[in-house]
Amino acid sequence: MRPRPITRCQRLFRSSSTTSSSALRTPPIGSDVEALNAGVNALTSVSSERSTGGYGQLHGLSIAIKDNICTSSLPTTCSSAILQQYQSPFDATVVRLLRDAGAHIVGKTNCDEFGMGSLNLNSVHGPVINPFQTAPNVPAAQMEHRSAGGSSGGSAASVAAGICDAALGTDTGGSVRLPASYCGVVGLKPSYGIISRWGVISFADSLDCVGILGKSVGIVKRVFDTVATYDPRDPTAATPDLRERACQFNSPFLSVTTSTHQPRSLEGLRIGVPIEYFPSELDPSIVDVLRTVLRRLGEAGAALTSVTVPATQYTLSAYYVIASAEASSNLARFDSVRYGLRTAPPPGANTSKSSDVFAHSRCAGLGKEVQKRILLGTYALTADAFDNYFLQAQRIRGHVRRDFDRVFRHPCALLERPFPPEDGVDVLLHPSAIRTAPPLDRRAQESHSGGKAALGLSEYLQDIMTVPASLAGLPALSIPAGTGADRWPVGVSVVGQWGCDNLVMHVGKAIEELC
Amino acid sequence: MNLVRPRPIWRAQCHWKSQELWRFKGLRGIHKQRERVEDRRWPGWEVVVGIEVHAQIKSRKKLFSGEYDSGVTTAFVGDTKKAPNTAVSCFDAALPGTLPSLNPKCVELAVRTALALNAHVQRRSAFDRKHYFYPDLPSGYQITQRYAPLARGGYLKLSRGDVTVRITQLQLEQDTAKSTFHAGRRVSLIDLNRAGSGLMEIVSEPDMRSPEEAGDYVRTLQTLLRAVGSSDGSMELGSLRCDINVSVNRHGQAPGTRCEIKNLNSIKFMMTAITSEVFHHIELLESGRTVPQETRGFDEDKAETFKLRSKEDSPDYRYMPDPNLPPLLLSQEYIERVRSSMPELPSETRVRLLSMGLSERDADVLMTVDAGREVGFDGEIGKGACLSHRMTHDLLGQLAARKETFSDNPVSVKHMGELIDMVQSGKVTGTSGKTLLRHMISHRSLDSPSKLAKELGLIALSRDDSSLVKEWCLEAIEELPQQAEAVRKGNLPVLNKLVGKVMKLGKGRANAETVRTLLLALLRQER
Repeated sequence: MRPRPITRCQRLFRSSSTTSSSALRTPPIGSDVEALNAGVNALTSVSSERSTGGYGQLHGLSIAIKDNICTSSLPTTCSSAILQQYQSPFDATVVRLLRDAGAHIVGKTNCDEFGMGSLNLNSVHGPVINPFQTAPNVPAAQMEHRSAGGSSGGSAASVAAGICDAALGTDTGGSVRLPASYCGVVGLKPSYGIISRWGVISFADSLDCVGILGKSVGIVKRVFDTVATYDPRDPTAATPDLRERACQFNSPFLSVTTSTHQPRSLEGLRIGVPIEYFPSELDPSIVDVLRTVLRRLGEAGAALTSVTVPATQYTLSAYYVIASAEASSNLARFDSVRYGLRTAPPPGANTSKSSDVFAHSRCAGLGKEVQKRILLGTYALTADAFDNYFLQAQRIRGHVRRDFDRVFRHPCALLERPFPPEDGVDVLLHPSAIRTAPPLDRRAQESHSGGKAALGLSEYLQDIMTVPASLAGLPALSIPAGTGADRWPVGVSVVGQWGCDNLVMHVGKAIEELC
Repeated sequence: MNLVRPRPIWRAQCHWKSQELWRFKGLRGIHKQRERVEDRRWPGWEVVVGIEVHAQIKSRKKLFSGEYDSGVTTAFVGDTKKAPNTAVSCFDAALPGTLPSLNPKCVELAVRTALALNAHVQRRSAFDRKHYFYPDLPSGYQITQRYAPLARGGYLKLSRGDVTVRITQLQLEQDTAKSTFHAGRRVSLIDLNRAGSGLMEIVSEPDMRSPEEAGDYVRTLQTLLRAVGSSDGSMELGSLRCDINVSVNRHGQAPGTRCEIKNLNSIKFMMTAITSEVFHHIELLESGRTVPQETRGFDEDKAETFKLRSKEDSPDYRYMPDPNLPPLLLSQEYIERVRSSMPELPSETRVRLLSMGLSERDADVLMTVDAGREVGFDGEIGKGACLSHRMTHDLLGQLAARKETFSDNPVSVKHMGELIDMVQSGKVTGTSGKTLLRHMISHRSLDSPSKLAKELGLIALSRDDSSLVKEWCLEAIEELPQQAEAVRKGNLPVLNKLVGKVMKLGKGRANAETVRTLLLALLRQER
């Protein structure tokens, strides 16, 4: 199967000096996909296979794969210039599981370079345009260009645009939940270690999770049930006995929500609202949406209580130290010796050290944001800074985890001797993002956030709601729950104890039905 | 095997405090322990040597490459004959998306070694990443165990004198690829075959006081590694590499500044390098200068050490815990299981032989015969190891039956070795071997075993000769694919290389002309 590059939509912020492919002769499915993709720029390559031969539990489901997950039949670029020509010799375990289950792989989805970004602006393929529109049939010229969120922006947008039924993304600090919220689709970041990372190109190994985006919780769950199996090739995968342990811990609470009785009663379900998740930056109309959701859940019988997760205030800084440190290590392999875009040093350049030679390729092949984070991470790991940055961040991470363990009444299966509080909650509920999808027009955005310097920070702030669950490795699901003052989608997040992925999805389903 | 109980995911961090691996407080203790030895070469000076040994683990697969690699290649470690870049998995080449999985065989062999070194195997050890950019390091970092090594504390008794060298720690780590600079083309060539192979880093305390003791330490360690089957321990082939720390001080004074000598590829060179370094230090100190802390290399032609880089130039390796690898947790039962399945250690063999009434010299002779009877890959105690023991036992049994002592033993070490080789290579069968041994003792024959075997008609010939020669030819073609290809393309002089290989494989038993004809026929046939 030969991959075919997608016709690029207009490049908003990058000068298009490189190739722009011509119109292609395509089979019906491919052309439909391309038509839907035009103007969204969600896909980076389209599969020419019409469907898979398999007749598994996912037969008939079309799924797009984020471009940092290896596929042997399509390029895997990570939206980076350095891997623009890269073709992996193997399929990631998740891709193999999907194929085996009969799913049709539609193509690869655009993303922030190596998963670094929250707006899907840092991509060699150009930004993804949020396909959501406040009114139907808006002419292209009058369409409002908003960000699809990042880093799995292409995955969320391809689901929202109807290109596929579901999409795989990756979530390191919110990269599935944030775009899901902005695009108005469902996005699941499972518990860390539940879905195999073999074949997923590492950003930060201890945080990376494969996530699933779909139109509904039902579809997300179908895909999850297929790919959430133990893989011995992933050394961080939860072992079968650990999965069993988590399952057994949580079963008594599951029965509450699994009743199919309509109207669904949520009697016995305890929902916590963490008070730290309402920062001053939070858009007030998002709080209104959350209130409505809470009211309906309460009416359905759920007990609501406010809880506190004090370490939340430090999570963003801890996250950026840990993620950047791991990224600086993981991305060290892109030296262009064995693969990747190679830029020879100019004549006369100092080539006495290999790092001097590699620097030319790395400077040309890695984008600004990626370089920024590599530098930050490199600094955090130097002997002088290690204690104050890296170790300190790890300590905060420990606090975050303990804070969550004090909130949930479900025991953490990862602990030898967990002591869950009896009056703890089943799940937490909070907004998925501090705002609706930000406009893509850079000037509008700058005026919105007050200058260029603040722009960088405000992009990092997008992750403030999603990072704590990432640091603690907890399952989190973003579900569209209404619209904000600007009539763009607003997502709310359900977060559960480690291993309670099913419980989180059950609560998500309830919200889907109630809202 | 329930070896690794991965408790995902995140690692406890409190133990993560930087620590100095060289503990000089230990050094002071030794100063008291060791008697002052005056060395005629440098009267009034004391030499202090510590050694870091990197021994390649003799496992079939690499340390982290995994059994599940989707690629066709299986990495066989230590096979230096393999064509470059043919024993490489996706993980070894650091392709994006690959993850490490720990090879339990490497752990077992390292635990064996640690136990043989009387070290404390840690119930919990962990893996760290050491970062630097170099073309022979595909992922940009080496996975090692800097902060929580596999084993700590141990000792090795040297063969001469009453010297005990303490072992600081033993850790697992990855080997790098091999880079060769091609002067003609002015390029570096990278061979990834070695990349990701398992290494044991064995760090000694600075307990040695002379180049000779250092040489004895490495030799004794080699014997031990081979006996437990954890490494070939060959400095010449690069499966054992040493970094030497040397410092010099006047007797009774505090230890001097140490320098590290790298890249030494034989024990002889190592001892010469230490001597050269000692004189270098003394020269500096006597002229009133100080010894700068440096990393030094060794020039084999000049028999001198030279400066590679000073301490200030030493890179910041930015160690961090490997987020992919959970801590390695070993149960006491596991450690005991490894202990009970270990081959006999050289020191134990020695004690056993001595208890059988052998003199020290005789025990040494027998152990030399035994040396090289290797344990197979992954520590499998195969035919070879058992065989040598059996033969030694047989010999002792035969002698005992004849009421003779070992010193009356008419079988020379050389002949004994040859006999064992003959049995192992299948030239004579095990039964014939015993017959031969009995014959040698009873007839006090001074003839070589192979001659005797021929005379006695004991040479094994399971196949006819021509099929054997053909087999060697095919083997030679497989082992020298580039040369074979050259011959196929008409480069006939290269054929001699292949013929030479066949002669080597057949230990000179084949007819060169026959081999030539057969090789050509085989290469044409293949096309």
